[in-house]
Amino acid sequence: MRSHIESTGAGAAKTKPAKPKPARRASGANHENKPDDVKADAMELAPSAATETGSGADAAAGPALRPALLAGYRNLAALRHDFPLLLVAGEGGEGGDGWVRSLSGMIDGILQDIAPQGAEGEALRRQLLGLEREVRALVSRGAGGSLSELWTRAAKQLRGVGDADASSVADNLARARNALRLDGAVIDCDAESPAKLFSHAWTTMQRAKTRAVLDEINELVLGLSDILKADFMRSDAARAPAALKGAVGTSYEAEFDFDALSRLLTDASPRDALPEPRRRRIGAALSVLQAQRFFAPAVAGEDNGEGLYSFAFESCEKAREALQDRLPAMVALIKAIAIAELEIENRYKAATHDAFFESFDENTLTPEGWALFPTYLICLRDAALDAAETATLIELLSSSLPMKIMLQSDDILAGPALGPGSLALGTPSTRLANMAVGLGGAYVLQASGASLYRLRHRIRSGLEYAGPALFSLFSGAGPTTPGLRPYLAAAAAEQSRAFPVFSYNPAAGRDWASRFSVADNPQAAAAWPVQHLAYEDENHQRLSEDVAFTVLDFVACDRRYGEYFSAVPRSEWHARMVPAVESLTGEAGGAPEATPYLLMIDESDALQRVVVDHRLLQAARRCGETWHSLQELGGIDNSHAKRLLESERELWEQEKAREIEALRGQAAPAPPEPAVEQALPAAVAEAPAPEVAAAEAEEAPPSDDPYIETARCTTCNECTDLNNRMFAYDDNMQAYIADPDAGTYRQLVEAAEACQVAILHPGKPRNPDEPNLADLIERAADFE
Amino acid sequence: MLAPVTECLLRLEDEPYGIDDYRSGVPRWCTGCGDNAILTAVQRLCRDEKLPLEKIVCVSGIGCASRFPHYMNTYGFHSLHGRALPVAEGIKMRRPDLHVFVATGDGDCCSIGAAHWIHAIRYNMDMTVLMHDNQIYGLTKKQVSPTSPLGLRSNTTPRGAYLEPLNPLSATLGVSNVSFVAQAVDWIPEVLYQIIAQAFHHKGFSFIRILQRCPEFLPDLFEPWLQDPDKVKLLSHADGIEVSAGLAKTYKNLEAHDPANLDRAREIASVTDPIPVGILYRNSAVPRYEEIRAPDRTFTPAMVKAGLEKEMDKFTIWPAD
Repeated sequence: MRSHIESTGAGAAKTKPAKPKPARRASGANHENKPDDVKADAMELAPSAATETGSGADAAAGPALRPALLAGYRNLAALRHDFPLLLVAGEGGEGGDGWVRSLSGMIDGILQDIAPQGAEGEALRRQLLGLEREVRALVSRGAGGSLSELWTRAAKQLRGVGDADASSVADNLARARNALRLDGAVIDCDAESPAKLFSHAWTTMQRAKTRAVLDEINELVLGLSDILKADFMRSDAARAPAALKGAVGTSYEAEFDFDALSRLLTDASPRDALPEPRRRRIGAALSVLQAQRFFAPAVAGEDNGEGLYSFAFESCEKAREALQDRLPAMVALIKAIAIAELEIENRYKAATHDAFFESFDENTLTPEGWALFPTYLICLRDAALDAAETATLIELLSSSLPMKIMLQSDDILAGPALGPGSLALGTPSTRLANMAVGLGGAYVLQASGASLYRLRHRIRSGLEYAGPALFSLFSGAGPTTPGLRPYLAAAAAEQSRAFPVFSYNPAAGRDWASRFSVADNPQAAAAWPVQHLAYEDENHQRLSEDVAFTVLDFVACDRRYGEYFSAVPRSEWHARMVPAVESLTGEAGGAPEATPYLLMIDESDALQRVVVDHRLLQAARRCGETWHSLQELGGIDNSHAKRLLESERELWEQEKAREIEALRGQAAPAPPEPAVEQALPAAVAEAPAPEVAAAEAEEAPPSDDPYIETARCTTCNECTDLNNRMFAYDDNMQAYIADPDAGTYRQLVEAAEACQVAILHPGKPRNPDEPNLADLIERAADFE
Repeated sequence: MLAPVTECLLRLEDEPYGIDDYRSGVPRWCTGCGDNAILTAVQRLCRDEKLPLEKIVCVSGIGCASRFPHYMNTYGFHSLHGRALPVAEGIKMRRPDLHVFVATGDGDCCSIGAAHWIHAIRYNMDMTVLMHDNQIYGLTKKQVSPTSPLGLRSNTTPRGAYLEPLNPLSATLGVSNVSFVAQAVDWIPEVLYQIIAQAFHHKGFSFIRILQRCPEFLPDLFEPWLQDPDKVKLLSHADGIEVSAGLAKTYKNLEAHDPANLDRAREIASVTDPIPVGILYRNSAVPRYEEIRAPDRTFTPAMVKAGLEKEMDKFTIWPAD
């Protein structure tokens, strides 16, 4: 059914050869050939048909019948699919999406690593796939435990059956076991799996985050401790004879005169103790850092964890209360961290920082500050969601608090008990995700339990998101679909658009296109996903047709809705019977004479046509409209975009029409305008590149004034030693002529001669009365 | 910074540094000495990078160049002859947050400190090494150094130096884990500054050989190169130094050299005339010892004490009841 189920026959319902009764011969998609003698239409069929076929619940749409597209999934444990999942334990699960692995994926990986290509590796492949099948069967029967435990049990069973060489099996499985580098709990898709999976994901991510933050805090503790220790080492107490004696130890204490040593050290060392306010400040920050209860030690056993805060809850109200209680401690810790960082950097300025930290409270906490702390995980079941809890949930989602709420629904239809003439599919809790999207600031993911592995990256994104997140999940483990395993029921809900997948990530961008996505749905662009159904008729001839999987198919699996469906004997099939999808999509829905039907199979895999009550059809249409709204939000068939495109196209066509008219109306071409290059003056066109121009501007020397090529000065002090009023250093410690009149022309010439890099140019004499000018001018000529 | 507010507070209190903030005392180097240009370039860099004074450590061995830490208003360590590098390594290991500059001379580095030099290259710890190469022992008044040219008459080689000089560039480029090698001359301050700046930003052991004049004992050694700019070859590259238009008017002998090309770097290093100036080799991917050996987590005093108590308890003999 879903692309992530691998099996021969999956997706291709292969019905048994038709039997004489009741009507089981599939007629394919050729409606013209159908009998036309069915009298009852959907509106009046349901009650009477229930009578004819027994009870509506059991005969029409209960365990006896299931949608035809589910024909290939009777024995799910024999099919390779996402489940069971490995919740990777330890640090191997940290980083990226490595926290969860699919058993099939792991087995494939091992085979790729160790199984030789071709026939040589065939035995190993067969045995390892057999082991996978055993593990899957064990888990589906309710066995729990770690992968290594299940592996051992499955391997034991494999060795005990079949005619294979037992030692070969043992050797191959042992090789494979050696290649298995990960371990952890194995879970199947059931009512407990969403909570287990989310708890594991959240714990794994918190562990990595905690380790990083705790390491930083320890660095700060070490830094502050070092400051206090250095201060102590300069104190009289540290230099007292007893302290010195203790530092030397007993082995060599007789060799020292500690009184003399103390006197020497006390007299010789500087006395620069920490100011008392600073010592108190550092001590206070250190105490807060050491007493914090938010982050557990990085290594188990260093601390028994007593007194640490817990961050996993089963109620929104309790989580909110806990957060409120801890707020002062959070503020104190952030404050202590900031003070510690400033102190260690030697940047704490009491004059300004004291006042700032005195007024530091929860209102000063920024989202980045919140992000330091662990997030809160709240696992809820919709059955326990009363009005007060719902109100708190919405309040939390409206805030910016790091609340990660996993809301699990086991039943998304909740029975047909509604007001007269009206039928609505879906429970209130299942609509919370749609509402949460409207809040704008919360991360939202709606998905079924069957897609959790496929959507693990979205789960990670939601858990990593700084603000609140709602994960609305349908487990598929409700009691009203007894014929379907939870994985199949969950997948059916997703396929049928009864519980479509969508995600909203406020951190992904500023617009809806970046934030909202329905792309994780099967055939997301279609109203209903269509699968190929292949079957045989009573003559064993292969037939096939494309069959849509609609919300009606999903509802038909629920025994509470049995009275809304009725199987029609083949003898009563008629030409006005149309697939229900046509009625839902409007293609034939307007025709009052049409009788919508679903293709279903009974327990012997014989095809049946089941007609649908019109009230259910209306409810299904509303479900389809909801899905269409989601599609529009996700950019599929968006009506605004279509309208805009249409108007733009009209404008474009009008513009083109005008251009064509203008071209036709032109009698002769206009004379060409002069080229831009021709219009430019020659001087502009030949202007040098700015860089070169700048360089030339730099080098332009003053006519007769002395100057230094400052950029080439090597700070050798030759000129400044000669006359530090005439020559000075600039901000880069490179020489320039500060005052040419602060010395003689002789000094200029001598400085030029002394300059190691010959960058000083004396220019012309400024005082014509200076003695020996002729000689100096001649010497200066070398530096012009 | 862990607390976001710390960044804001630091920015608010950000005080600009001037070059004078990094200066300490008046250098006692001879007038005209190339050490002054190197000192100025480092002080400019510290100012431009806004490095807090207390985050800088200058380490030196023995020699004229080794007075460098005295003239920097930062932490400094004037250590033993040839031992600047191990001291700097210890500082970096314990305090990776500090910016470490090492000032060493041709004698200090290539003679008594040669073993430390080779292993420091191999360790590739993050520090900027300025090898002041005036090709003479100046502090002790003119003795031959490992880089002195063949035939140089000095107090220890009155008949002229007997051996070909050691080439510090070739030697450095031949050591495993080499990650940054450059050559500068003190008389082109613009390029000297650029090279030191790039060395500073390189994460690893940045070795810069700086050819410098000794006006007292070898006043004419580099005179031909000073007089003729074409005898200096500037190595330019988008990933190396950029030769400004002004500089290019004086120094026209240019070669485009990609610092990632080790083979070509070795060829260039072997040439002594014209003097190649620029970044010969850079490889940011070489692992650094301080990272390889960094503890995977921080141990606070309480954790250390608890760990020691736990270990000691293993050997404690408890009195019988």
